[in-house]
Formats: sequence, structure tokens, C-alpha cells
Amino acid sequence: MSLAYETIATLRHRLLSKEIHPRDILKDLFTQIDAREKTLHAYTYLNRESALAAAEKTDLSLPLGGIPIALKDNLNALGDPCTCASKILEGYKAPYDATAVSLLRQAGSILLGRTNMDEFAMGSSTENSALGLTRNPWDPTRIPGGSSGGSAAAVAGRIALAALGSDTGGSIRQPAALCGCVGLKPTYGRISRYGLVAFASSLDQIGPLTRTVEDSALLLSVLAGHDPRDNTTDLRPPEKFLTQKNGSVQGLRFGLPKEYFLPGMDSETESAIRSAADWFKKNGATLVDVSLPHTPTAIAVYYILATAEASANLARFDGVRYGRRATDARDVLDLYHRTRSEGFGAEVKRRIILGTFVLSQGYADAYYRQAQKVRALLRQDFEKAFTQCDLLLTPTSPEPAFPLGERTQDPLKMYLADVFTISTNLAGNGAISLPCGFTKSNLPIGLQLIGPRFGEETILRAAHAFEQAHDFFQRLPPS
Amino acid sequence: MSAPQINISDVASLARLTLTPDETAKFSAQLSQILGHMETLSQIATGAVPEVTPPAQPALRQDIPTPSLSIEAALSNAPAQANDLILVPRILE
Repeated sequence: MSLAYETIATLRHRLLSKEIHPRDILKDLFTQIDAREKTLHAYTYLNRESALAAAEKTDLSLPLGGIPIALKDNLNALGDPCTCASKILEGYKAPYDATAVSLLRQAGSILLGRTNMDEFAMGSSTENSALGLTRNPWDPTRIPGGSSGGSAAAVAGRIALAALGSDTGGSIRQPAALCGCVGLKPTYGRISRYGLVAFASSLDQIGPLTRTVEDSALLLSVLAGHDPRDNTTDLRPPEKFLTQKNGSVQGLRFGLPKEYFLPGMDSETESAIRSAADWFKKNGATLVDVSLPHTPTAIAVYYILATAEASANLARFDGVRYGRRATDARDVLDLYHRTRSEGFGAEVKRRIILGTFVLSQGYADAYYRQAQKVRALLRQDFEKAFTQCDLLLTPTSPEPAFPLGERTQDPLKMYLADVFTISTNLAGNGAISLPCGFTKSNLPIGLQLIGPRFGEETILRAAHAFEQAHDFFQRLPPS
Repeated sequence: MSAPQINISDVASLARLTLTPDETAKFSAQLSQILGHMETLSQIATGAVPEVTPPAQPALRQDIPTPSLSIEAALSNAPAQANDLILVPRILE
């Protein structure tokens, strides 16, 4: 069987026993890429030559020695493009490594390539990429989710073993759910954001997309930790996750928030999530009804705060220091206007305008400040819920992957796709999405487990137990 | 509070964007719909609730010089440059 179908954990074992060489893994991945990438378009750039060169000199004693990893195209890696799937960063080559990228290199991994995304991570379908859309490996007429849609499609489509993504409102978990892989959004402050192109700095977090929970834990163990270059990273000492894999969920309390099980929700999704909850109960866990009463406000809070922060963060793209510059500008102001108007796509412009509006004089109190206060209430909801349970159990997405083009003309409907993921970013907690079933038409369904802040060990332990008791993670999309 | 009418062109100008007439028409309709959805927030009582503020700085680092980007690396993506400086259009007449 092609090595592209294996997990990081099994490949590491085979590398250490000298049964295979890192170049064998790359060779099999490139064969798969040549067969599938034309349909999927998961990548924006491939490091074929540098990856093969790196494979000849990897140190297998390192935790990810010889393991190729793909990066979302918003993470700076020295010398490589970093387009954020935007025309405004055409031609840009990163002059430094993001901390997460540097940690991957130090752990011996090989940078395989860069994955497609919604422009500046703004979207839930990867249709907002200026570099073309990505297709869902389970059904190429459907979206892979977003914004880390390229990372999810690459991992699920067996053209990457694992990839990094970023999650501001669900951008790791929702595509992981829709493509049938494992996506972890760590607690805010767990992984350094230095070198991640900023969208909404109080919400953004880098995390892994993998085939298995064990691989997710391996990557988190490498990436987590304080970074003097990101002062929002937590000071706790480095941890190794999921070192004990006893498979027990005995005694764990799972909270089912009533606001996440709405009348009229997709019936196949609801039934898969209820079955997952029943499995935990049968295996010694307790199910508790909880409430997160401010959930119905989360979309509004998120799209005020995220766009406000984006309007400030994206002010740096002005055609002066890097990226695209409009030609024949009359003066500096004209240069800014023309560069930005030519360089940004529709969704980015829409969000910058919305963010500028909610911060503008006369409206900031009613929108931005009110949203910050409601965000505090949302956080309190989570804190209260975690006095009654150890983990929250919810669907990741209200429905499976929708058809390409269905929502591109209706931004509000697209925003509602994030309804079950954004509260976690607003509260700052960690959460995972893992496969928990398939629809009758063979589309993956994702289960979300949300933990208290810095509760990744419990999340991973429960997710691993569920995963290993089912075969969902072993199913392959049609080739 | 009802959803306000945004003067899209004015707001776009604050954000250093120039919109085409098509974009102006489309964004006006879409943003009113989105702001309409956001009206739900005005019904939440938040009188005594403090705003979420950025997390307290967990640690202040020592203020000592450390290696940084070289001039060459920092200028490597500049659209126009001369004498280790980035060139921009004239800002003073």
C-alpha cells in the first residue's frame, strides 16, 4: 500500500526501524499528488525539490524526523511564497519562519507545500481563494469547508499526511468535519502566532489537521509552548500530549448544550452526534444537559469583532513595503487606494468595510463595545458549563459539505455555517473535530469536543478513545 | 435600534478602498442584511458587564537587543527601493 495512506505515528515507527526512508514517503505522496491534485486543487505551491533534498539529510531521532507536513498558505516559511490566497501578496517570498514552522523544522519534519484557503482566511468554503477553488475529496461537486479547506482536502484526499491550518472562527474544525479528518483548534495562547498572517488577533490560533487523534497530539506536542515573540502565548512549561493511550472515558462528564441541538437541524448530523454521545455513555461516561444561553448572539459578536480586528490588521497591505503595488499612482493616497482595490477580493473588502464601520465614530459603542461585552457573557457561559462537565459534545457543523457555489452570493448564509465553532474562539477554549459518521450519500460528519481552557489532554484522550473504537478514520474517499 | 444605513463609499474611503458602482450596490445590500442580523445584540442587557480586554501580558521580556531581519531581508519584497530605502510616490509637492 502507498505510504501516503499511513499515519505519522506508523510511518515514524517504520522509519526508525529502517524499513523505509523519508524519500519513499515523499515519492508515494508525489505519486498521489500527481493523480489527485488536478481534481482537488488543495495546494497553492509544492516544494518538490527542496523536500526531496531535505529527505536526504533528516535526523530520524527527532520527534517528526522524515515526516512531510503541508502548511496553510498564511504561515511564513523562509524563502517560500505566502500568498494568503490573495492577489495582493503575489510574488511575496517570506523573509523569515513563523515560530510554528521553525518548530516543525527543528523537529525534523519536511515542508511539503502550501495549501489553499479562503483569502486571508475569510470564508467557510475555500471559494474565496484568488488562486482557484478546492474540491471536497468525498464529492468534488462540494466545498471542502474553509478557510483551511486546502489543508483538510489534502489530508483527507491522501495527498498530505498532515497539515497546519489556522482557526479564527472554525477554520480548522469545520473543514476537518466536512472532509472527514481530525482538526484541532488549541486554546488561545497554546501555540505561537508569530509569523501567521494576522486576521483577527484575539481569535486566531494555529493547529494541526491530521488523519488521527494520535497524530494531532504528536504535532501539538511539538508546536505548543511559550514564545517571546508572541506575548499572548502561555507561560506553562512544554507538555507531551496523549502519552497514555488507555482508551478509557470512564467517569468523564460530557455536556450537551441545548443550543447546539436545534429543531430543524440536519437529521443525519444530529443522529450521528447522538450516537457518539451514546457511545461515550455506554463506555462509562456521564451525559449532562447544559446551556450556553448566549450562543444565539455568537455570529453577530464574531462578525463585529473579527472584522474590526481585520480592518486594522489588513491596513498593512498598502503597496509600500511588500506585495503588490499598483502602477501609475498619482500620489501615496492613490497608491493605497488602487493597490488595495485591485489586490483584495470581494469578501475581504466586505469585511474590511464592515470592520471599519463598526469601529467608526457614532457606531463603535453600539457595535464594537457592545460585542466585547457580549463576548464576556459568552465566556461566562463556558466557564459555568465547565463546572458541570469535563467536555462539551456538539456537532462541528450544522450540516455536511454543501455544493460549490451554493452560498457565494449570500454572505450571511455562509457566515451561519460557523454557528457551532465560533463561540469557542470567542471564549478562547480548545476544541477538536473528528469523524463520527457518514451520511447516506457518503459525506463525512464531524463531532466536536470542546474543553476548558488548556484542557487539550482531556479532549485528545476522549477523542482518541472514540476514534479507535470506530472505523470512520480508516474510510477512504473515492479515488 | 434599527439597522443604520451605511454610506458605503465613505466607509470604504476610510479603509482606503475605492469601490466600483457594482461593488457599491452589492455591498450596500449585503451589509444592511448583515447589520440587520447584528441587531440581536442590542437586546442583550450588558449594563454592568465589563468589555473583554486583550489578555494581560503574561510576561515582559528583557529589553535586550536580539538578532533581527537584515536590511537585505527586510527589503527583499519591497516593490521599489534605492540606497537601502523603500521608494514611494512623492508625498509633498
